[in-house]
Amino acid sequence: MTDVPDHTKPQRSLLQQDAHTTKRNRAEKRFKTYGIIAIAIGLLMLAILLVTIIGRGSGAFQQTFLTLDVQLLEAKLDKKGDRNIEDIKKVSTFGYAPLMSAALETKVAALGIQTELKPKAMADILSKDAAAQLRDFVLANPDLIGTSVEFKFLTNSRVDGYMKERVTRESIANDKNINAAQLDLVDALHAAGALNKQFNLSFITGADASDARPEAAGMGVAMIGSLFMMLVVLILALPIGVAASIYLEEFAPKNLLTDIIEVNISNLAAVPSIVFGILGLAVFINYMHLPNSAPLVGGLVLTLMTLPTIIISTRASLKSVPPSIRDAALGVGASKMQSVFHHVLPLAAPGILTGTIIGLAQALGETAPLLLIGMVGFIASNPPDSIASGLLAPNSAMPAQIYEWAKRADPAFYERAWGGIIILLVFLVTMNAIAVLLRRRFERRW
Amino acid sequence: MKDNVISETDVMSNKIKIAARNVQVYYGDNHAIKDVSVDILDKTVTAFIGPSGCGKSTFLRCINRMNDTIAISSVQGDILIDGEDIYDSKVDPVQLRAKVGMVFQKPNPFPKSIYDNVAYGPRIHGLARNKTDLDEIVERALKRAAIWNEVKDRLLAPGTGLSGGQQQRLCIARAIATEPEVLLMDEPCSALDPIATAQVEELIDELRQDYSVVIVTHSMQQAARVSQKTAFFHLGHLVEYGETDKIFTSPEDPRTESYITGRIG
Repeated sequence: MTDVPDHTKPQRSLLQQDAHTTKRNRAEKRFKTYGIIAIAIGLLMLAILLVTIIGRGSGAFQQTFLTLDVQLLEAKLDKKGDRNIEDIKKVSTFGYAPLMSAALETKVAALGIQTELKPKAMADILSKDAAAQLRDFVLANPDLIGTSVEFKFLTNSRVDGYMKERVTRESIANDKNINAAQLDLVDALHAAGALNKQFNLSFITGADASDARPEAAGMGVAMIGSLFMMLVVLILALPIGVAASIYLEEFAPKNLLTDIIEVNISNLAAVPSIVFGILGLAVFINYMHLPNSAPLVGGLVLTLMTLPTIIISTRASLKSVPPSIRDAALGVGASKMQSVFHHVLPLAAPGILTGTIIGLAQALGETAPLLLIGMVGFIASNPPDSIASGLLAPNSAMPAQIYEWAKRADPAFYERAWGGIIILLVFLVTMNAIAVLLRRRFERRW
Repeated sequence: MKDNVISETDVMSNKIKIAARNVQVYYGDNHAIKDVSVDILDKTVTAFIGPSGCGKSTFLRCINRMNDTIAISSVQGDILIDGEDIYDSKVDPVQLRAKVGMVFQKPNPFPKSIYDNVAYGPRIHGLARNKTDLDEIVERALKRAAIWNEVKDRLLAPGTGLSGGQQQRLCIARAIATEPEVLLMDEPCSALDPIATAQVEELIDELRQDYSVVIVTHSMQQAARVSQKTAFFHLGHLVEYGETDKIFTSPEDPRTESYITGRIG
């Protein structure tokens, strides 16, 4: 027992790293660096993707409008003067065109803009859809006939492109749709504050439009088509998928047959979606004679596609419920079904919901099977007026609408395709966020 | 070893509650229980001891047919409770399990409130006519499981938030809430610390007043402390069965002696 303890001399000093340790540490450091590089590449790609999509697509949410005061002449629109809606409906869009060009002429004169253009050529800077918009407005408000109203007209997509710098004075050299004089007029109107880019709600709510009027095209009706499809998928795939999983996981005997079923469900999840599309075409349309291009058929096809995803995730979450919970329930005399429905299923529910939402999100973004059942095409119908017509009337879906726009020639549609992608991504991100939130909220630990 | 005994070692009843005759259990090709015959008495604590894998838990799970949940297991021979064959085709295992309660190795309360944990059994068996009835059943079960004082102020708190020992007593309360006649305990203290173990052991001794208790344990001290009868299993055979005192002081079979003196196992 001395105050100063006597140290033995170390055989190998801990203060000096030996060669082996140094090598191991270096290997570890290298591995970490590789990981960081991999993540950085991933993030960079994501950033490029987002920047590109937003950069190209955000333009679609803005549209160039021209504000005009239109004289809704009774002599033109309602000759009898009794505001009978049936009589007013007889006036076609051609009846409105002169009102608009008159309004534009007045505006140009009032602003003191010099132009050699004829009134007809001046009116060409407006969208071909503008007259229809005005007519819809008048049909909705017949009382305003005979007065002067301020109305915002969509402009031609070339004018819109010029305002968004997609169309330049050089690029219109061979363009029959617009000429330099018209662009001069546009510049003058813009300088006077009558022609401006504004947020365009009808891109989100409106229907698709024909090749000649990209400025009027919107995602709204396709969105409703997608909504009805998701409804069909949810109503069919969730109960069928969950019931199948519960049976397979909890009740089915483990034998060769159930093994084969299991393997095939996993295989189904890997089947290319276009195969489901051709199956839907053969079975639902050719054999069962369900209507073409209907969200009901789309929903059925997507249900087939989503089922394996839901079954696999449901079985995984049923499996993750500890067996001790089942034992506990059986131990107090619960039947198999009681133990599943009272204890196992509630514990697995967050996982099932998450799986379902992710399956739905996948189905929402699926395009290939829709190509085969005819849900890709020009459908400029108005929003369906009932659930039945929502399910059975021809419609498109969001990704199919994007595909449709992307393949059209006019670059104005190209911009709308990117804009559509933004809308679709907002839906997908929202659904995934809900899935994450649900998982966080209801996750149990034990 | 006698100092540790907390219970009267006299067997209080001579009525046979469970009678097993030539029981064989197979897990696929594995012959897990070989020709076991044993009479388990009413109002007695019977301990099953033996090295790991000797089949004591398997045999315990045969008594309430929990082995039915394992697809590859098959049971031959007879197990009679009150003279009735529980493997008779007319017997519904669900009804059997209401009569034969079970407490598991790891405390496994449902992730629900303490109240709901205990009330679950009575609810599914329709033992309570109304809410007051159910409250009484829950209170009685929790009192008998010696946990009432600790949880009476937080019956609606989750059962999973209790400590390990409390959870296990909650599981015991849950098991006795359905008024079983036999209580099977599969290593109930293996996940508990010594203090919680002591509490559960005391509880087991009290439960002997009303039930036939069968306990599987790895701890020979525990078997000696709580049981009146002990059965020693080895490699699927029931080697020796008798008064606990006798098994631990003068075992007849050399294998039993080797095991309790620590030479095998």
